[in-house]
Amino acid sequence: MMTHSLNTPCNSRRHFLAQQGFGLAGTAFAWMLQQDSARAEAVRPELAPKVFDLKPKPSPQPPQAQAMISMFMQGGPSHLDLFDRKPALEKLHMQNFPGEIKYDNAAESSAKCWYGPWKWQQHGQCGMELSELLPYLANVVDDITLVRSMRTGVNNHGQSIYSLHNGRITGGRPVVGSWLTYALGSENQNLPAFVVLTDPGGLPVLGTDCWSNGWLPSLYQGTVVRPREPRILNLDPPPQLAGLPQQRYLEFLRATNQRHLAEHPGENDLAARISAYELAARMQTDAKEALDLSQETKATQEAYGLHEDATRDYGSRCLIARRLVERGVRFVQLYTGTQNWDHHGAILTALPAACKKIDKPSAALVSDLKQRGLLDSTLVHWGGEMGRLPVIQNEKNIGRDHNTYGFSSWFAGGGVKGGYVHGETDEFGHHAVRDIVNHYDYHATLMHLFGLKPENFTFTRPGGNGSLLDGQEGKIVTAMLNSPPV
Amino acid sequence: MLVQRVLVLAWVCLLGSVPLVADDSPVRFESDVRPIFKTHCFHCHGEEEKIEGNLDLRLVRSLIKGGDSGAGLVAGQPVESLILQRVVKGEMPPKGKRLSDKEIATLTKWVEQGALTARPEPEALPMGQEFTEEERHYWAFQPVTRPSLPGVKQLALVANPIDRFLLAKLETEGQTFSPEADRATLVRRLSFDLLGLPPTPELMTEMTADTRPDWYERLVDRMLADPAYGERWGRHWLDPVGYADSDGYVEDDPVRPWAFRYRDYVIRSLNADKPLSEFIIEQLAGDEVLNGALPHASEENTDRLVATGFLRMAPDGTGAGGVDQNTARNDVMAETIKIVSTTLLGMTVGCAQCHEHRYDPISQADYYRVRAIFEPALDWKNWRDKNARLISLWTAGDYETADKNNKELAEAQKKYEMDLDAIVNEVFEREVGKVAAEKQTLAREAKPLAADKRTPEQTQLYKDLPSLNVDRGSVYLYEQKRVADLNKANEKNQADIRAKRPPDNFVACLTEPTEHVPPTHLFSRGDFNQPRQVVPPGDLSVLPEPNVVPENDPHVTTSGRRLAWAKHLAGGQHPLVARVLVNRVWMHHFGRGIVATPGDFGRLGEPPSHPELLNWLASELVSSGWSLKHLQRAIVTSTAYRQSSKQRPELVALDPDNRLLGRMSVRRLEAEAIRDAMLVVTGSHSQAMYGPPAPVNPDEVGQIIIGKATRDGNGLLVAAANDDPDQYRRSLYIQVRRSQPLGMIEPFDIAATAPNCELRRSSTAAPQSLLMMNNAAVLRFAERFAARVAAVAGDDDSRQAEVAWQLAYGVAPVEAEVAGARELLATTKAHFEQVASAAPAEQKPTVPPAQQALAVYCQALLSSNRFLYVD
Repeated sequence: MMTHSLNTPCNSRRHFLAQQGFGLAGTAFAWMLQQDSARAEAVRPELAPKVFDLKPKPSPQPPQAQAMISMFMQGGPSHLDLFDRKPALEKLHMQNFPGEIKYDNAAESSAKCWYGPWKWQQHGQCGMELSELLPYLANVVDDITLVRSMRTGVNNHGQSIYSLHNGRITGGRPVVGSWLTYALGSENQNLPAFVVLTDPGGLPVLGTDCWSNGWLPSLYQGTVVRPREPRILNLDPPPQLAGLPQQRYLEFLRATNQRHLAEHPGENDLAARISAYELAARMQTDAKEALDLSQETKATQEAYGLHEDATRDYGSRCLIARRLVERGVRFVQLYTGTQNWDHHGAILTALPAACKKIDKPSAALVSDLKQRGLLDSTLVHWGGEMGRLPVIQNEKNIGRDHNTYGFSSWFAGGGVKGGYVHGETDEFGHHAVRDIVNHYDYHATLMHLFGLKPENFTFTRPGGNGSLLDGQEGKIVTAMLNSPPV
Repeated sequence: MLVQRVLVLAWVCLLGSVPLVADDSPVRFESDVRPIFKTHCFHCHGEEEKIEGNLDLRLVRSLIKGGDSGAGLVAGQPVESLILQRVVKGEMPPKGKRLSDKEIATLTKWVEQGALTARPEPEALPMGQEFTEEERHYWAFQPVTRPSLPGVKQLALVANPIDRFLLAKLETEGQTFSPEADRATLVRRLSFDLLGLPPTPELMTEMTADTRPDWYERLVDRMLADPAYGERWGRHWLDPVGYADSDGYVEDDPVRPWAFRYRDYVIRSLNADKPLSEFIIEQLAGDEVLNGALPHASEENTDRLVATGFLRMAPDGTGAGGVDQNTARNDVMAETIKIVSTTLLGMTVGCAQCHEHRYDPISQADYYRVRAIFEPALDWKNWRDKNARLISLWTAGDYETADKNNKELAEAQKKYEMDLDAIVNEVFEREVGKVAAEKQTLAREAKPLAADKRTPEQTQLYKDLPSLNVDRGSVYLYEQKRVADLNKANEKNQADIRAKRPPDNFVACLTEPTEHVPPTHLFSRGDFNQPRQVVPPGDLSVLPEPNVVPENDPHVTTSGRRLAWAKHLAGGQHPLVARVLVNRVWMHHFGRGIVATPGDFGRLGEPPSHPELLNWLASELVSSGWSLKHLQRAIVTSTAYRQSSKQRPELVALDPDNRLLGRMSVRRLEAEAIRDAMLVVTGSHSQAMYGPPAPVNPDEVGQIIIGKATRDGNGLLVAAANDDPDQYRRSLYIQVRRSQPLGMIEPFDIAATAPNCELRRSSTAAPQSLLMMNNAAVLRFAERFAARVAAVAGDDDSRQAEVAWQLAYGVAPVEAEVAGARELLATTKAHFEQVASAAPAEQKPTVPPAQQALAVYCQALLSSNRFLYVD
């Protein structure tokens, strides 16, 4: 009865130990090894700096999402004119608002309610109601969860963007993409793990803080893929060196390094650096390939709107996002131009124009991911840092002021339900009132989808452990998940 | 039953086959068993106030007696001994930890041999930790004695005593030194090691031509006298010190505008070869040396104050919002202790903050003894914030001018506010005009009232017309241009006034109030909310003379604790200080310390490869009057240092890590040296020493660059790194912002600053290669390099190839290299010519194709191993 374990196949490490380590006889050895993962070795205090890397790491819990694409709608799309119809507002159109309003800009504010002129319709099998400004999204409603009760509660762009990116209203903290790549690494070592696609019109309003690694190692900073060459700084050569000059440079470098190595035979580090240049060149090739949209079929290009002026730019970035995720990139963040959605005025013309740029490509991304079988493992987020107020700002040129107390965002894939609407705002759409999703609830939910436990997800720093939630009690929004935690 | 049989079998196997304790060697409690218990068990079974299960493992007799579960062991009977059963079954230590097979085998054997001790056990254990003879006799705690010089066979290879220690060991292994490196290699090695800069071609030529037998020694002296020496070795010192120009700790990482003075003090001190004893005393207690004398009185006095910046280097979150102040204050103390102990003691004292040190004889009380040395100056109960600790170097005249200036500013501000209020009132009147005539008075009356003092009617009025709520803060929304113009004029006016103010001139230092002697408590589990007994100041109690620090020295106005400890550390008798210092110096010359873990000389560190040599160096440092330059002169003139780095197969087979130093190690340049070498080679090096650092900023993608990054309203970069000379200062003059490491050097393993860096890594990774291939700053260096080469070599490509090579590496290229370079120049030039001719007139490159090609070649030289390594 004791001897059966003699024939138990050992995995290679255990086998290695048996050969090299202690030379123990089979029975007892096998029994002892059952505990070897929990061996209490002396833990050395850290003598050399800890080494961080981007190698893929398993999620502590079984994950549903393996990658995330976040389409950040900077400026704050008007939920009242796109996602969240309010009959009460229609009734009080152009009459004084009957309650308290939290204004941001008092000078231009008015107390008059305003109901946009756009038509609303139910779509899909689920019957999700959207305004006519989002005709393409209407085609994929059965694949998305629409959250109508988002809230950050800090009434300006900066603080609200910070909240959604890093959990708090100030900068200098690691953002979601940094946390995910710190925890899980990346499936592709030749591409950046956390990619940021910025708008050709400029950086987001908070600039580089939006992809800050904060106090995480700088390895986890987002890498910007720029709208122009060189697309990735330090990865791509500047245009004048691309192609032949850099190729010749690498050839010469290799030859001269080889001659140097021949003078120093056996120096492993010198040989390793020669290989490092080769790896670097491979990374360039892979990145170039990932960004090359000419490899896509005409049908795909058209679906993303690459053949239309209004959608070409955003469509290209959505398509790049899909290609990156397909290649194992963990987190892709897309930004729109600074003022695309900040409709303090001229909402009648500016909102339709903004929708036209964004709607077709973002819906195409969902269907394309689904068609390729990537949607189940890719969490897609679409939303801004705020919605708009139910009352008019600027009566001469109608617009709406900021509202971070209740707004809408949508999610798809990665374990999120399709055809589902979550939460609601009050009858005028000013405050989220039911099933509120604060920024920290959103963070807790997305971490859960990646198999991470929010409370365990920390980084040791002076003054204690830092975390994305930073002590805020984020609730996982179980109602929007395909398989809620048990 | 099954478990019992397995246990027996396990033991049979362990005892029969584990060759870890030689069969005939007696196992003793103090030397073999106690360290295992100390690491894994004492925490619950002996050290803490509450002893788990009433089982105290610190003495064998209490172990035999056992605790609540019965007798702990039966001498001679391993299988019957409870603690061994629990350990083998993995029940102890708890929570799934498990002793290693080796440790279990040792315990088993010890019990089997009768659970013997080396000597009779003490009658009683004092409160806290009792050190055993074995612990007290640990090598690093023994006084430094000057060892006798070992005999060697090959006397001709001995240039100085250092060589004897190394050679003796090599000879016992049947080995010897490698031949001397060639002259060019030596000059380059020496230049990087002593100055952190590459040799100029002129120096190379001069040295190759120097026929005097002592050319090398002369060069050593020349370099030791070069101001760049202090910059190089200053940067080394700043690593364990954790130097930074910012506070860290909190997200916004506030800048420390005066930290640079400490950096400059370090550079000046090293250049002056200030005795390291004095250097240490000033840094730990410069203020107490001054003893109330004014820092203005002399440069020397100022320096003494500046030196204490050493103790202000820890990350500091005190005073920051959203931070628990008591935690932040105690963190400053803990990090300061870590910096001091890793820099000067080479012991992980910090491991004893919460409990007795698991491996080394450092009790928790010891930790608080060291803390007590700093408590009067860093009193967490009476904390002085960063600004309150600044000491101004202003003169009385400066203060007078500043007073006048303040008054002028206040007047300007008053005038501005009146102007602004005028606009507010005007706007308000306009808005009131929108209100029905009969309610206008009501609106005016409500204006000055607080919201809760208004009548319901007034409140409703303001709610219906929110634009009535105009004030200083919101008036810009109504009258954008007028307010903007007013603001602008005001800012300019105030800036003009401020420009007349004498510039701030502060020292960021550590001082302590006079006669301030707060008690230091031991904190149970390191928690400041659980203070226990008061602990007096003192050195680690395992060391000789630990009680030299007075509670309150009557001879100085302050407590005198730091001064007394500093004098003790620098007195020449302390077993750790000199060893730790010389080990660091050795590490920077050979790439590895004699103790390979420079911050940990304890049991978990690496034992010294040449303990006698370490002693000799330490004793030589002290007897030379703590002269660093003297020590380094000895090191770099040794035969060992002058060896070739070429690998010899028989030596590598014996000693793959080169611990015996039978050859020189090939070392990669540190991050700063790589950039500094580029500065020199490309002819860009700004010679400006000292002063405020060149600022760093994020560029448009978040990469940290030198200089102000100016952006347009959309965040796009308008002016990036401009060409101001700050761009080309040595790397130690670039701002060290903890949260914003300079992008160009960061991938090459810069010093950690949270809180300090005991040892740098030397990694090889693809991001470093990508940086060399594509980074804008590297490309700019390549272009400058090309311009420099072209100015000397004209358009002759052979000449270009040679000049650039000579500048980059200090030697002439061999024929194959020139041929390769010419081919590179020709093909890339043809390419650039083709691009230029195809480009429309307005897009022609400004640099001629030949020079573009030359820049590609220059970039390759800067990227090469020959450039990045010293051999």
